[in-house]
Amino acid sequence: MKPLLKLFSVFALTAALSVWSTSAQAGKIKIVATLTDLADLSREVGDDLVEVNSLATGVEDTHGVPMKPSFVPLMNRADLLLSEGFEMEHAFLPALLEASKNPRIQRDRSGYVDCSQGIVPLAVPKTTEHYAGDVHPYGNPHYMLDPVLAKTAVDNIYKALVAFAPQHQAEFTRNRDAYLARLNNKIAEWEKEARPLKGVKFIAYHEEWNYFAARFGMDFYGTVELRPGIDPTPRHIEELIAGMKAEHVPLVVREPQFPEKVPSAIAEQTGATLINLPIMPGGVPQTETYMKMMDYIIHTMVAALQGPK
Amino acid sequence: MRAIAIALVIYLGSGWVFTAIAQESDSDQVPNKEDQAQNPDKHANTTEEALKKQQQAIDEQQKMINDLKSEVDQLVESQKKVLPSEFNPSIGFVGETIFSYRSRGSSETGSDQPGGFNIFQRSMELNIAGSVDPFAKGYAVINATADMATGEATLGVEEAALQTTALPGNLEVKAGRFFGEFGRLGYIHDHELPFVNRPLVLDQYIGGESRTDGLQLNWLVPVEHYISLTLGAGNQFGGDNPPNFVGEFRQGSGLNYWGRLSTYFELTPDISLEPGLSGLWNPTTLAQWDPAVQDLPTVNGNTHTERERRLAGADLVLSWKPLRNNQFQTLTWGTEVLYSDNRYDITDSSGNALPGRTVGAYGLYSYLTYKWHRQWSGGVQYEWLEDMVDMQAKTSAYSAQITWALSHWNQLRLQYTYTDPNAASGLHPDNAVYMQWAWIIGSHAHGWQQR
Repeated sequence: MKPLLKLFSVFALTAALSVWSTSAQAGKIKIVATLTDLADLSREVGDDLVEVNSLATGVEDTHGVPMKPSFVPLMNRADLLLSEGFEMEHAFLPALLEASKNPRIQRDRSGYVDCSQGIVPLAVPKTTEHYAGDVHPYGNPHYMLDPVLAKTAVDNIYKALVAFAPQHQAEFTRNRDAYLARLNNKIAEWEKEARPLKGVKFIAYHEEWNYFAARFGMDFYGTVELRPGIDPTPRHIEELIAGMKAEHVPLVVREPQFPEKVPSAIAEQTGATLINLPIMPGGVPQTETYMKMMDYIIHTMVAALQGPK
Repeated sequence: MRAIAIALVIYLGSGWVFTAIAQESDSDQVPNKEDQAQNPDKHANTTEEALKKQQQAIDEQQKMINDLKSEVDQLVESQKKVLPSEFNPSIGFVGETIFSYRSRGSSETGSDQPGGFNIFQRSMELNIAGSVDPFAKGYAVINATADMATGEATLGVEEAALQTTALPGNLEVKAGRFFGEFGRLGYIHDHELPFVNRPLVLDQYIGGESRTDGLQLNWLVPVEHYISLTLGAGNQFGGDNPPNFVGEFRQGSGLNYWGRLSTYFELTPDISLEPGLSGLWNPTTLAQWDPAVQDLPTVNGNTHTERERRLAGADLVLSWKPLRNNQFQTLTWGTEVLYSDNRYDITDSSGNALPGRTVGAYGLYSYLTYKWHRQWSGGVQYEWLEDMVDMQAKTSAYSAQITWALSHWNQLRLQYTYTDPNAASGLHPDNAVYMQWAWIIGSHAHGWQQR
């Protein structure tokens, strides 16, 4: 009987601890964002009414954030879970959601916020057969690299916050409007600054830049990967290099989660400029917020195009 | 719908083109007749310029129409998409072939794998999963493994269980046939193991996979630190060995009971430590072994019949997984130590009952795997165990493997294993080379336990 008593006292102690820990943080709306861009946007809209945690720190692969058990207690207590949508997080979110044991944020509940609602996807695959690589059945999920579409995400976060805490609607509306006004100004600036990028061809490691290219009139020529999630074969690299030379592709983009070796070799052989660009805030230094990240991406691209090789 | 959308776009687009042309015409100064008479060349130039401008406007509008058309196409395309949820439940299939060479026959190694060259279709595994309703999900793993002796594939249900998804109080219940949570690798399917074979100690002390027909309760302890507690009760516990022979009538004490407590420490953002403790107890393993199916183990000619099963385990995984390029580089050290403390009834060769005895035997495995490329990884493993019935019989094994994963769904592994049983075991050292080829089609999701 003694072991049972011991076990019971452990349970009682942990239950008491949990009550204490939840009451200590009462008051704020607890948000868990999968990636840092949504974390930043939700901090803007929620301001001091929310406590935001992001699963990613910014340097990870958006499809491969390591499933750390430390995420589980965070998700267990979350009021809202912000997901990018289009199955961006398919490799890590479903198992984490299951482990979180938080019914409020499961996919069929209002606490699960799909921030892609209302966005028309690009590159919707004709097949999800694996010969096409690790494709996303609903379309390319990297819409956040288009700042105009980021406004839709802001609005989705706003709607979720209002639905969760309607008593704070006025604050959320004020915060959202202020942020959107700033973002609109920045978009106008970026469009002006990015004019030299119009028609410019570039390659990247992964199919991350479809929306960005569409917004700024660039030509996303190809990827280092053979298919999404599949490493290149030597023949693919050869063909890519030959094509880039023929088409005079001046830029090679390497995202932080991929090794530099192959992109660097491609840049060297084609005479293109290699640039390291983040795909979410925090991916490289000085890009802690969404706006800083977009600033960085556009400055770096334009500078690479105009600067000496 | 698509036709209507395109027609609308073309109609609107052409409207803009005509408006644009009209505007261009209005805005250009129409030269008067006097000017035309006086400067015929100038007139021609002006007309040409106006035409050029008009052509430019038409081109721009045409581009806009094309852009809109492609956007409409995308939209229509995305709506046509067959959603994965329509394939309900989701289905995946795993194939796994083991090509091997072992230097000695199974009589000398004690293994169920033959000596010499062998090709063994270990897994033909069908995975099915889907939600049952808003409160539960269900899944099944149906595997056909080729019989070692006959080569005939026998279909078996490895798992078929219901798992709750919406219980309050951080609780989750699993019921049915499933791999019970004990240790680290007991509940991992063959093709996902870090080495070709399941560690010897799990094969012997648990009986391979930790399969059970039972009920398992998992509780996420509601504190800020991750602590997971699992308790379960079930019919058998372990794969095909020991067989699930339960006799004629069984009390509750004839069931297996198990539990696991695991936690996690983030030493740095890149380095984590996951320790766990597990226990398994069957108070009365009455006639757990069916002599009709399998010979009872003997030590010095005395037959041992298991009466009580007690197994404890401690496991540890230390991993370095750089956040930035975790798809390309990881280092994992995994260790599991098991202590089997079974009680046996003993009869001598003439069938006379001798005093029963408890055998406390230890076994462990420890491995280090390193991934240095998205496609390449390798590792080394050390194993040591005492026979759970005869502690004097000890076995060590050393393995090294190199793995080439062409993609998430296609993996080749080459492994060398040297198994070294001691003299008391009556077995002989053995060199083995394995080539494992595993592939997956369809849906394949990694659950929390396989992370």
